Amino acid sequence: MELVIKDLHANIGDKEILKGVNLTVTPGTIHAIMGPNGSGKSTLSNTIMGHPAYTVTSGEVWYKGQNVLELPVDERAKLGLFLAFQYPVSIPGVTVANFLRAAVNAHRSVAGKDTRETAIPMAQYRKDIREKMATLGVDDSFARRYLNDGFSGGEKKRIEILQMSMLKPSMAIMDETDSGLDIDALKVVSQGVNTLLTQNPEMGVLVITHYQRLLNYIKPNRVSVMMEGRIVREGGPELALELEERGYDFIREEVFGNAN
Amino acid sequence: MLTKLPVIAALTAQDIVVASEPTWLQQWRQAAWQHVNEGAAPLWRRTDLTAFALTDMEFSATTSTSQLGSAIPDGVVVMPLSQAVREHGDLVKAHLGSAVSFNASKYAALNAATWRDGWFVYVPKNHEASVPLHLLQGFGAGNTLVARNLVVLERGAQLSLIEQYAGDGGPFAVVASELILGDGATLKYTSMQTWGANVHHMGHQVAKVGNDATIVWTSVNTGAAHQHVDAETNLVGNGSRVDWTAATVAGNGQRLLTAPWLRHVGRATEAHMDFKTVVKGSGYATFDGMIKIEGGSTDTVTRLEEHALHLSPQARSDSIPGLKIDTNNVQKAGHASTSGEVDDEQLFYMQARGIPKSDAVHMIVMGFFESVLDRIPLDTLREQVTADISARI
Repeated sequence: MELVIKDLHANIGDKEILKGVNLTVTPGTIHAIMGPNGSGKSTLSNTIMGHPAYTVTSGEVWYKGQNVLELPVDERAKLGLFLAFQYPVSIPGVTVANFLRAAVNAHRSVAGKDTRETAIPMAQYRKDIREKMATLGVDDSFARRYLNDGFSGGEKKRIEILQMSMLKPSMAIMDETDSGLDIDALKVVSQGVNTLLTQNPEMGVLVITHYQRLLNYIKPNRVSVMMEGRIVREGGPELALELEERGYDFIREEVFGNAN
Repeated sequence: MLTKLPVIAALTAQDIVVASEPTWLQQWRQAAWQHVNEGAAPLWRRTDLTAFALTDMEFSATTSTSQLGSAIPDGVVVMPLSQAVREHGDLVKAHLGSAVSFNASKYAALNAATWRDGWFVYVPKNHEASVPLHLLQGFGAGNTLVARNLVVLERGAQLSLIEQYAGDGGPFAVVASELILGDGATLKYTSMQTWGANVHHMGHQVAKVGNDATIVWTSVNTGAAHQHVDAETNLVGNGSRVDWTAATVAGNGQRLLTAPWLRHVGRATEAHMDFKTVVKGSGYATFDGMIKIEGGSTDTVTRLEEHALHLSPQARSDSIPGLKIDTNNVQKAGHASTSGEVDDEQLFYMQARGIPKSDAVHMIVMGFFESVLDRIPLDTLREQVTADISARI
């Protein structure tokens, strides 16, 4: 199913950040959103997922026949949306294993059914998480550590991808996943995403990034450019390369004219 | 058959005396009783003293329901304190009142004058108790429990002790615990106030820590309608240390106050305090702490963290940390404090993984307490307390 964003406006406090975003992400595609700092990229991903700091003033976000803006955050996740956070928070006292089990079971829960019936059997959960941690090069000991507590930037991002591979979303939003990653970590994380894509070819991925670098490893089918709270340009993968070469200014001039 | 018990305020000095007790103890009780009558009311601004009115408390000379929740570890002396007065008179005489002075407050004096219940625990020199000892105190006859525990660890001794107040009844509990750690001794002390919802709990706890001795103190406060606990670690020995954590849950109608005092007296003493509080409904919790670094203390390391989570808008927590330094030679002194609602970013993160908000709050709060509850040494007890707290939030 497509993710369709229609004329989305959103504020932080009184300040309008999104000024009418229109965007469609089709299943089975990797769709990159590029843009300079402050263009509203992270606001877009957080607004789709329902971060309480952002207020939607108008617009719609349709997915699987529902305007997700009308759903509580956890229902959006259960619908198949996943946000890989730019800055994953730490939750002291809650282990990675327990947290992820709660998340997996929440995804498996069905209204009106006893959660004990729908919960993943413990043995299977252990097997799943072990396998996926091995694939992502995450040491077993992380399962017992408190979520993101004292993790390095690279470790946090791997744990994000671990969660993504356990929860198997149908539409993943990756918010600046490359920030704070060295090249080795970037490769591992990208490989994790690509493996997931091979396993779930119908998954849509919205990759939000400032730099072309990540797109060398997660190759987009579509590229949209965001500036000043709007999508101002769309194209194929060649657009990312052009941006890498020429920067954002040429688009700014084309769209907004020469400010001077 | 039921006879009306006298209220405590109506007792005379003669009522205080236990005829079978040695003269020194009779005199000590009478001196304490004098302080009950003549001492000034405590200046506790955040404790409602009408909840602890002497005129409401009944005196009962019958002993109550002190029980052991565990076997007695080999080589450790454990018996009712009243029995120890007869069988280990010299030890009791040497230590009784040496940590909790009856001058500490009217209630400390009341405890000294009228205690009938409580335990004597003695670990001989260099003896390492292999299993935890669980003392369980409930209510007996009358509406007032007055119990006193005296715990003595000789040089190099080790013990894990759980002291738990549990059950319904009373409603008044006036209790005291004296913990004496000889040089090089190690005490893991888990003090648990898990009374029923109507209890008014008044406690005095003092640990005196000898040279190079260590107390690992875990305090759990979840029960009672009113709690006032004066808790003190006195790092009197050189190289002595305390690792002190607490978990407090104050729900609807509960007013729970803990006043931890930490005294650095010896040289090179080290203290880590980590106090965690959750308030819910109309619950009200107070941390009224004081760290005092005495003049003779040098190379002191002291760290205090206190964090409070508010689960409802009416819930309140007060934090009044104090620090008084009378030395020029502090190696490290740190303090961190937070108080507020469950973090929005944490909630959003968990919800974004499909976890419903109420479950997310629950996990965050249990995670908040994890490092404290994890230290409860008996599995069944830890699971029980964890389940209790979990059910209340």
